[in-house]
Amino acid sequence: MKPAREMDVFLTSPWIPAEWIKAHGLEPRGIWSADNFWQQAPPLSAGVCAFAEAAVRFAEARTDSAVIFSTACDQLRRGFDAVVLHGQRRAFLFNLPATWQTAAAGQIFRSELERLGQFLLAIGGQAPSPEGLRQEMVQSSRTRKRLLESASAGSPRGFAEAVARFHWDGAFSPPPPAAPADQVPLALVGGPFFAPHWKLLDEIEAAGGRVVLNATETGERSLLPAFEFEAGANHPFDALVHGCCDNIVDVFQRPNTRLYSWLKPRLASRHVRGIVLWHFTGCDLWRAEAQTLRETFGLPVLLLEAGEAAGVTPRDANRLQAFIEMLKAEG
Amino acid sequence: MPRKLSLSAWDGRYEQLRRDGLSEPGYGGPLRRHVVREKDFRLEQLQFDNSPAALRLWNFLLTENARLHQARANGHKIVGTMKDLGTVPVMAYALPGVRAFYPDGAWWTPCLMECSDKLLQQAEAMGIDASFCPVRAMLPAFENGEHFPRPDLLVCSTGAVCDDFSAIAQRLEHLGHSILWWEMPRRRPPASDEAACALPGNLAAPKIQVDRVRTELQRVGKALGKLAGKTLDDDGLAAGIRAANQVRRLLDSLRQTVYSAPAAPLPALEMLVAEMLAIHFCSDREETIAVLEDLLAEVQSRVRQNQFVIGTDAVRIFWVNPVADLRAMNLLEELGGRICGSDYMFTHALDLIPENLPPLEALARTALADPMVGPTADRAARIVRECQAGHVEAVVISRIPGASHCAREGEIIREIVRHKIGIPAIELEIPPICDALLPNLGSRLQALVETARARRTK
Repeated sequence: MKPAREMDVFLTSPWIPAEWIKAHGLEPRGIWSADNFWQQAPPLSAGVCAFAEAAVRFAEARTDSAVIFSTACDQLRRGFDAVVLHGQRRAFLFNLPATWQTAAAGQIFRSELERLGQFLLAIGGQAPSPEGLRQEMVQSSRTRKRLLESASAGSPRGFAEAVARFHWDGAFSPPPPAAPADQVPLALVGGPFFAPHWKLLDEIEAAGGRVVLNATETGERSLLPAFEFEAGANHPFDALVHGCCDNIVDVFQRPNTRLYSWLKPRLASRHVRGIVLWHFTGCDLWRAEAQTLRETFGLPVLLLEAGEAAGVTPRDANRLQAFIEMLKAEG
Repeated sequence: MPRKLSLSAWDGRYEQLRRDGLSEPGYGGPLRRHVVREKDFRLEQLQFDNSPAALRLWNFLLTENARLHQARANGHKIVGTMKDLGTVPVMAYALPGVRAFYPDGAWWTPCLMECSDKLLQQAEAMGIDASFCPVRAMLPAFENGEHFPRPDLLVCSTGAVCDDFSAIAQRLEHLGHSILWWEMPRRRPPASDEAACALPGNLAAPKIQVDRVRTELQRVGKALGKLAGKTLDDDGLAAGIRAANQVRRLLDSLRQTVYSAPAAPLPALEMLVAEMLAIHFCSDREETIAVLEDLLAEVQSRVRQNQFVIGTDAVRIFWVNPVADLRAMNLLEELGGRICGSDYMFTHALDLIPENLPPLEALARTALADPMVGPTADRAARIVRECQAGHVEAVVISRIPGASHCAREGEIIREIVRHKIGIPAIELEIPPICDALLPNLGSRLQALVETARARRTK
């Protein structure tokens, strides 16, 4: 990946629309796709999420860029507090509403986007034109559609790389097709899952499994459906608000039934036989879902925890092998 | 003379008080019965204030579940309100025949019952293990119905709240307990060109956030009104706010009197329990007022007579976050400290609710003043102000095991305290039963007390 330029705007959540930033003439970047996001294992205090800590360190180091935190979890929310305390001025906290069944949630999302727009102007962005915004939305919709079409057939690692590329610069890089093999179909569900962790996909394949559904925060789940424009009747900003707010599928939402509604048809159509629940140490939101996932889908769930170090620990590789062996034995 | 008593000593003290004509409310009785009947074994390890007012306080606290069951039997509607710590109960108690309580309060049950209830183990079997805050005890408590009654309505604030609580509440809903979720945005400072509202606690928020919270509370109010069979109107809500403010004024007087006295006229443990009454009136608003009036009269009398439970030499401590094990409050005093300021995560439930605003607007502003929904720096700023006003010599930040907010906030608060007022501050984690950690906790607290004392001579 190419290095970030000055005034890149790094996003800590895929639910903050990159199109809005692009329309302001700035470069949106998924923070998890940055080469130097996970440079070294940060020493963590008890209970601190490694992802949130990496975001804090990144924001404190990259004073030439802006970092947009989100309120999707307590750890990022308070990570923003730490960043501001230590003097980073180009940081912004986007209030993602947890509720979604009321008009108020949409209003919060809309006003937060407007506030983000003010922030982007303040750091050197340009006022977005409706046409410019529409073009960005059309372009990203097209790319997401192509990525979604390749999701189930692409190689798991290639697909993870393609989504990461999309979150980095909006480009489409087609994932190579998955090699046909008699492997146990698995779903990978959970929080951010990025380059240093992709080795897990190789481990899964080596053990005889294959991720046919990457439902991590940086996988297929992060790809919104195409924006809908009502025959020129609505301003693209309205379409952006609804297209994002109405389609967030995440564990932090209350109730989080959307996540389950999203997973259900995909798990069934791809004949998933087991779920690997991927979460960072200290992530209560994902960890608490393990039992509900088991109960709802009747599938075995393996919890894998991303700690400070990159890659897969021998212990986790061992657990993964046992999990897949168990599924194989069940036939 | 005021002093602290063990539970055994209280047995005799109670008999003496009865012989002397002690008059008690319906929930009164010897403290010992809570061990015998409710298995509140932790009481045997605690030290209590020896006043009848403290006895009443403890009996009031420890009979809450029984009083709730009785209220249900009497036809009252029960509302379980979660996480907002102080706002929704003001609305609920403004309606006739409605009682609101915090199932969150079950987090003290493992402590009180010394884990004999097995709630934490049951929570683990339900998918919520020890990596979560002890509030996970509420999950099996809901399922087994052996503690509080199952509420007729469950309300939970979400958004800028602790992840662990939110995750546990979501698990509860998956288990079939329907929840009315209402959005609490993360409070932010208003921009320079933005309409702003003053909030209690010297805070401010953009008007747009206050409007959103008011809209959400309106939705909650409708659900409460439907449950009660009566619309929650402005007049009723204004009366509810006035009654809540009566509680808050009493608590303010109590805190002022105790924290500013030359020595502590009431122990830290009873002060913690008294402050907790603010959030939902321990399921009986009128009785809360009576309990607090008794306590206030007791401490005022003690101060007039120069009678204290802790020596004048005690180091003045500000305590941040509630403790999972009540024993920790005794421990601090045993090691030479006294509480002279506190932030038990609900300072917004101590501040007066504005009475000069439309009631729902006033409540929305109060809800937004919650120290846990805003920037940690705001919380730290209040702590600093209160430390300065109370001539505090050291700060203790107690971590709640597994609580998501504790991962980072303590470090931020310590940094700000150190930078602004330069007094020593420590962070320590207190589990539901801290016995095994007493040597470690004790030495850390002792080091803090000694450091603060050493600074006096400089």
